Amino acid sequence: MDIVIIDGLSFALPLFIMAIGGIYCEKSGVTMLAVEGLQGFGAFIGAFVAVAVAGNFSGDSPVPFYIAMIMAAVGGSIFALIHALLCLKFKANQVISGVVVNILAMALTAYLTKLLNRVVFGATSDKFVLTVSSRITIPGISKIPVLGAIFTNLYPFELVIVAVAFIAWFVMYKTRFGMHLRACGDNPHAVDAAGRQVGQIRLAAIMICGVLSGLGGICFAYSISANFSSSIYVGYGYLAIAALIFGNWRILPTLGACLLFGFARSGGYRLVQVLQMPSSYQDLVMILPYVLTLLLLVFFSKQNGAPRALGVIYDKGAR
Amino acid sequence: MKKMTKFWNAVKIPLLAILCSLVVGGVIIAVTGSNPFKAYYALLQGSGLAPKSSYASYKSMLTDFMSYVNYFTPMIFAALAVAVALRAGLFNIGVSGQMLAAGFTASIIVGYSSLNAVLAKPLVVIIGLIVGGLAGALIGFLKYRFNINEVVSSIMLNYTFQYVISFFINTFFVDPVSRQSKEISAASRLTLMDTMVGNLKMDIPLGIILALLTVVAVWFLLEKTKLGYELKAVGYSRSAAKYAGIKVGRSMVLSMTISGALAGLAGVTYYLGYVGSIQPKVLISTGFDAIAVSLLGNNNPFGIVFSTMLITLISKGSTYMKSAAGVDAEIASVITGIILLFSACNAYIKWKMERGRREKTNKTKEDK
Repeated sequence: MDIVIIDGLSFALPLFIMAIGGIYCEKSGVTMLAVEGLQGFGAFIGAFVAVAVAGNFSGDSPVPFYIAMIMAAVGGSIFALIHALLCLKFKANQVISGVVVNILAMALTAYLTKLLNRVVFGATSDKFVLTVSSRITIPGISKIPVLGAIFTNLYPFELVIVAVAFIAWFVMYKTRFGMHLRACGDNPHAVDAAGRQVGQIRLAAIMICGVLSGLGGICFAYSISANFSSSIYVGYGYLAIAALIFGNWRILPTLGACLLFGFARSGGYRLVQVLQMPSSYQDLVMILPYVLTLLLLVFFSKQNGAPRALGVIYDKGAR
Repeated sequence: MKKMTKFWNAVKIPLLAILCSLVVGGVIIAVTGSNPFKAYYALLQGSGLAPKSSYASYKSMLTDFMSYVNYFTPMIFAALAVAVALRAGLFNIGVSGQMLAAGFTASIIVGYSSLNAVLAKPLVVIIGLIVGGLAGALIGFLKYRFNINEVVSSIMLNYTFQYVISFFINTFFVDPVSRQSKEISAASRLTLMDTMVGNLKMDIPLGIILALLTVVAVWFLLEKTKLGYELKAVGYSRSAAKYAGIKVGRSMVLSMTISGALAGLAGVTYYLGYVGSIQPKVLISTGFDAIAVSLLGNNNPFGIVFSTMLITLISKGSTYMKSAAGVDAEIASVITGIILLFSACNAYIKWKMERGRREKTNKTKEDK
């Protein structure tokens, strides 16, 4: 049971932070399907920097990890600029633009990983190998039965994510900027009339999405595979989008959706282990989050409250 | 004359996109220390469009070209699948998953049976149509009935197909040596592999005939039938179509069914044509590259034939390019990605060009 909670959380929280990124972007009225590509590119930059600086620190130093997190956020936001450019400047179809960003991210990172490995590190490899992130257990409260598992064997990034998620929640619902952002998604003309630039707010929202997606990506790179390679593109970005639709574009219900996915996944794995089924049955378990998403969407999509101006290209002259 | 200008306007922007991406790709290749012209020429050589310096026995430029045709046949179907959905305002990003489902079903029903070729080959095609169509219809139905974004649902289905099929392959149909699914029977294969023609051993893809017929059929459907008109009307404006009395829900489900059926054909020509087995846990990139192909071909069935030949040329030739010019094969998908990037801006470029032209004509009027 404890393992289910521990693994479930370490999967759900990176998913959650990416979903928050998606919420920011979509709440500002820009359809965001590029989370997958943004998290991959962010993780790529973060992993590259982590490997590059690792030599300067002792083997178990956590510093490269934090540098990687910052760089992943920067990388994600820079790559998000492509989506911003296509959607805001070139008025491209936002769904197509998102998919373009994803395909470009996969192609570029696969190419650059090989190239950088050869040129910078003199190795022929298609992945950046990262150190395994250390885990922490908070003394005292981890002794509480069942609930204590939440505080056991935490990845340090889980604490960072909780802090960032809280800040993101605060900015979205308690600040002037957050209110303008949400208004952009529902009635951009009103925002314009109030003297704010719709384009600027949307640009900021897309970049925030890049930052948060990049963070989520590097966390997956550290926790699931302990390396960066093309295997990072397994659709968690899309899962995050499903989570936010299921969470009705609101941050707290989205957390619930992410936890559900996380526990469905870790619970399924545990089941395969406990029942001692052959490892090929893991493939069947892997579909749980996806099938669950579809089923839940069947029940919850009808009454969803998508931002009203979502996906509509802002035209100042339109009425 | 008027037709010529219309044609020119349609191809102008895709050509610009290709040119820009080739330049960008060339700069990347040059920066990494290789000769871009040599690399691009190697792409042509690898696809049998330019002679190589030497050939193995039984091989020639023609066999290379046939293998290239064999490679791009599935892509024509896949791009048509994307195009039909896009014309109806839907985005089918699940082509790869639908291909896999169709290919797997056809493999286990026909590929592992002992049917003779006359029965097996048409049966493979029909199964492809049905399985792909059903998968597409499900996505369309979820969109129409439950308002589920087709992008999200098709991606969820992609992964579901990928893992479930991988489970079945690993449990029942695995070849212990290749770690792939067992090779299908030659009778059910849509490509005649290693056939002796003269003194050459070549792959003859029968699917290409079907592909070219399908191109015409899709064009006819979209341009000359009432159904095609309704699909396009829904694609332009859902509310206007509804106001005109078109059943929007029915059109959406139908267009996704057609799109899925085309993806199913892509699946059988890929898994039971180009390759003869299925690699578990891998979703091929054809369905995603098909988006680039379709956009580049203006979502027009005839345009798609040309854009297919171009994009597959880049990926097919990349293996030879790696050995001949020493350029990483991954650059091929980077170039495809950049083409996609430029094609996505095409609405803006079109608008800019039109505005420029209008301003020019206005100016000449004022001068007069």
